[in-house]
Amino acid sequence: MTNPTRKVLILGERDNIAVCLADLSVGDFIEQDELKIKVLNLIPRGHKIATKAIAKDEGIIKYGERMGHAIAPISIGEHVHVHNILGDRLSAEQV
Amino acid sequence: MSAPLKAYKRANGAWGLRNQVLILPLHSALSSTARAIADNSDGAVAISHDWSGEKDNDLARIIFTLSGYASNPNIFATIFLSIGNPEEEQIIKGAQALGLTRFSNLLLPEIGSMEKLQQQALTIANGYVKEASAEVRVDAPWSAIVLGLECGGSDALSGITANPALGVASDRLVELGASSVLGETTEILGAEHLLAARAIDPAVGKKIVEMVARYEDSINYEGIDIRGAQPSRGNIEGGLSTLEEKSLGAAKKAGNAPFTGTLEFGEIPKVAGLYFMDTPGHDIEQLAGFGAGHINVVVFTSGRGTPTGSAIMPTIKVSTNTPMYESIPDLIDLDAGTIADGIETLAEVGDRIFDEIVHVANGQLTKAERGGHHEFALSRMYNTVVR
Repeated sequence: MTNPTRKVLILGERDNIAVCLADLSVGDFIEQDELKIKVLNLIPRGHKIATKAIAKDEGIIKYGERMGHAIAPISIGEHVHVHNILGDRLSAEQV
Repeated sequence: MSAPLKAYKRANGAWGLRNQVLILPLHSALSSTARAIADNSDGAVAISHDWSGEKDNDLARIIFTLSGYASNPNIFATIFLSIGNPEEEQIIKGAQALGLTRFSNLLLPEIGSMEKLQQQALTIANGYVKEASAEVRVDAPWSAIVLGLECGGSDALSGITANPALGVASDRLVELGASSVLGETTEILGAEHLLAARAIDPAVGKKIVEMVARYEDSINYEGIDIRGAQPSRGNIEGGLSTLEEKSLGAAKKAGNAPFTGTLEFGEIPKVAGLYFMDTPGHDIEQLAGFGAGHINVVVFTSGRGTPTGSAIMPTIKVSTNTPMYESIPDLIDLDAGTIADGIETLAEVGDRIFDEIVHVANGQLTKAERGGHHEFALSRMYNTVVR
């Protein structure tokens, strides 16, 4: 459980985020398959990490589908969550 | 090349993956009698329900559900237990129109006593069971599989383990020519535009969006705004950021294949492909809708675990996390929690689910079947008004 052979899970080929399979700390280094990522924030298990640089307003792609957009530029290795992304349609923050 | 499957061929061209003899009470008061007959028989199955012939706004939905269920291709023969309401005849005629060829109808007022009814039903049931066991499976094409996709008791891992892994298996089956049906309108709310974009033509996409809007209107009618509070605080703590993300986690049971069409609750798909069926979020009601829609095998992903099974459809249980799988091994067929632990990939677990579906389609019993879990519930849209 606590020592997975993979630290992150990519759910689609086009995705620009991955799901963390362990709690990640600042400075951790992920080297898995084609990925080489330096972790920039503390990211809890189950949360998302950027695997590509994402510009403001660019789509967040998970499962190969657009699940929302960035409301600020996001760097590779950054925590991707409600502080820097928003759903394209109604979401808690917009209501 | 040998055929991928062996199944029971029905007169109307449909395929059965099982050869059940079903005892179906057409009035709730005959439910325990139906169970007793099945329990005493050589292998017949029964369901119970709570409809007592009320003629309210749900009448058409109930008749449609029971007709569809009674004629599911996994059934060799159905024994109806009737009390004499005119709707009972309608249900039986409906089942015949949908392909049921072998059946008996036992009318309590004609037979005159519960004891005689039970005895007669038991004799008939054992006769059918004997005939059914003499029937052999024959080579069947991939289109023989009509898979139902279901989830219940979801957890934070559902959307990254069991659901997308099931999607891998569903995609493989659809690609080969089988059918797969996604349900649970509640769960795709917020991702309907993404599913609609995968429709084979704009009319199908429009219908998916309309079905969700129709559901949403009925919820708003009850004074609940379901989108406003999504994702919930617990979801956000777990890492989900948007409503689309949450709904995609459920909808990914249907993988990435294009949607061939939409189905009303309990409607039977006409050509092979991936479908969306408008079903309620309640697992057992949805399972009844799947049975009525002639789905013949179900995969059920769960985070909390559940004994749920069906009298007529083999139901394969997949856990989203390993601790749950290990805690109730007699209920769960496969574990997808290995994905979250980084041990297996989505593709690997997806392939295991695919293989399990094929084995179960060919006759391997699921844990729910071995445990004799035969759940059924009618789905209603309105409050019952007795007239």
